[in-house]
Amino acid sequence: MTDTLELKQRLLAEFSTREQLLNGSRETPLHILRQDAMNRFDELGFPTIRHEEWKYANIMPALLIPFSSAQPSNLTSDEVCNFYLEGIEANILVFVNGYFAPEHSKFISSEVMMSNFEASLKTPIENSRFAKISGYKNESFTALNTALSNDGAWISIPDGVILTNPIHILMITDSREYSPILHPRHTIHCGDRSEATIIYSSHTIGENSGFTNSVSEISVGQNAKLHQYIIQNDSDLSYAVNSSYVHQERNSTYSVVTVSLSGKFVRNNHTSKLAGENSVANFYGLVIGGSKQLIDNHTLADHSVPHCQSNELYKYILDDRSTGVFNGKIIVRPDAQKTNAYQSNKTILLSDTATINTKPQLEIFADDVKCSHGATSGQLDEESLFYLRSRGIPADKARALLLHAFASDVLNHIAIAPLRDSLDKSIATRLHDESEIALLVE
Amino acid sequence: MLSINNLQASVEGKEILKGINLTVNPGEVHAIMGPNGSGKSTLASVLAGRADYEITGGEVLFEDKDLLEMSPEERSHEGVFLAFQYPVEIPGVSTANFLKTALNEVRKHRGEEQLDAMDFLKLMKEKAKLMDIELSFLQRSLNEGFSGGEKKRNEIFQMAMLNPKLSILDETDSGLDIDALKIVSNGVNSLRSENNATILITHYQRLLDYIIPDFVHVLYKGKIVKSGGKELALELEARGYDWVKDEVGE
Repeated sequence: MTDTLELKQRLLAEFSTREQLLNGSRETPLHILRQDAMNRFDELGFPTIRHEEWKYANIMPALLIPFSSAQPSNLTSDEVCNFYLEGIEANILVFVNGYFAPEHSKFISSEVMMSNFEASLKTPIENSRFAKISGYKNESFTALNTALSNDGAWISIPDGVILTNPIHILMITDSREYSPILHPRHTIHCGDRSEATIIYSSHTIGENSGFTNSVSEISVGQNAKLHQYIIQNDSDLSYAVNSSYVHQERNSTYSVVTVSLSGKFVRNNHTSKLAGENSVANFYGLVIGGSKQLIDNHTLADHSVPHCQSNELYKYILDDRSTGVFNGKIIVRPDAQKTNAYQSNKTILLSDTATINTKPQLEIFADDVKCSHGATSGQLDEESLFYLRSRGIPADKARALLLHAFASDVLNHIAIAPLRDSLDKSIATRLHDESEIALLVE
Repeated sequence: MLSINNLQASVEGKEILKGINLTVNPGEVHAIMGPNGSGKSTLASVLAGRADYEITGGEVLFEDKDLLEMSPEERSHEGVFLAFQYPVEIPGVSTANFLKTALNEVRKHRGEEQLDAMDFLKLMKEKAKLMDIELSFLQRSLNEGFSGGEKKRNEIFQMAMLNPKLSILDETDSGLDIDALKIVSNGVNSLRSENNATILITHYQRLLDYIIPDFVHVLYKGKIVKSGGKELALELEARGYDWVKDEVGE
């Protein structure tokens, strides 16, 4: 037990060290907030599996790894450009070990304010959006991030701006020389009537472990639309806890597609508060799990007002000794009449040793609502497999084709064709599907 | 072409086929009729290689090769085709997409060149026309949301694309209205040649008005109890299956 406490002690010490460097600015509201968050982290500690929300996601083994605070790292253009998205003309914000790397970034949409969190902190805290949406009282990782975060993306889409080019937030962890732990903090604001697409991808260079504890605070204004595509492609030695807090105003739409392709331990907390009437939250997720991976998606659709809708579809394909967790919580508060909330989790288990833990959690305090949830898990459908084989398709190819098809209805929610196609291809490769993906007729 | 000798098969310990003997030569059409539960669909499934059945005795030779030793895909490569009684719906896989993969697998086995997208499209257009199928239909998820008639047409379309030596049509007529029945029958008839053979499995005589069989067999309680020409089907239609049961002595 002392071992697992060590990382916590190191993080507390790091906070004290930073505090000493602050000199005069220790009494700023920002620092007071951070101090409070650090105290909260100290009280909560890292969650153990005795914590209901962390029952299947055992973070303890990660705490034994000698992580140390991530330092800036200079990558070459060649190293970074591997991760640019092909065929997509995007604004790119690159972060290496959590630090903004302007030399690798690219801004093409001048109507949007894009910078990094560090720069945004020059605004007084009262006016900034820092820690306005995310709470940290009960979430130790968010508390930790609130205390220690020192960089991340800061994006503000002004009212009425329809962004034609997406924004790509590219996170690269460089673990070549040590095992870094980082706490990126992202703030995204979509003004009223604005529309934007944000792609978020994470990758690793290097053979050591990495630990990313990210927090995103996202506000979606009235009549605004935000589409978010998250591609999780870190190395199989990496740990990640990603907490995303969304606040939605009237008539807004927030859609997110999370595609988890790799990573040893991936925990996604996705919370959307539907705070304005007629708002819509869509959560879609695809998990391709293998080896001893753990991928845990925790979602919360918090319906506070009437006439809102939330849709959730999470699909898992799990092989080897991988573990999937899906916990979908829907809260319908007393005022939230005429709520529509749908949730579905479907899993294909490819081995006897793969596991899925799925838990729908509906807390409904209004009476005039439509809520549904469903979960299925099992092997590939034998009859479908036999059908394809009876047409001459060998068993392994037929299996790959069916898995690929299973994944496709999540991918189809990605509106950027080159992104969807490239994900489709990498998933096909993962699943060994060599058949033609699509055949266009005339 | 096909030689079934004393074939016995069971499912979950229950014997369904109790010694089937049947020989099918190139160019022939055989109809297998019989009351419900007589083992008709089991025979079709066993020939196509469905895993649910245990072969407890006998043999099946297809062009002198042991068919029962082959995987379902190998049977397809050798030229056996099963038109399913209940074609499965596969969301996310288009007919065109999967069929291109299938056809190229079959061609690979035959030592033929792979078809590229253009050639495949050309072939698909030709066969789709035969079955009165819109090309856009083939871009949709396989059988998903298709009517019973559309699914059966799609089965015969696939058969036309794969050009098998032996086609087994399992209750292809069930659930078809008269127009769909005509389209399906026309398709089957136009694919008939002296090199291929067809086994029609059906409960009703109706299909045989459109696809004229050379032989009619009555399957009852896991055995072929009576064989004859096409007129046997008419007799069954007129008199039902009871007289056959009486003849067998039950």
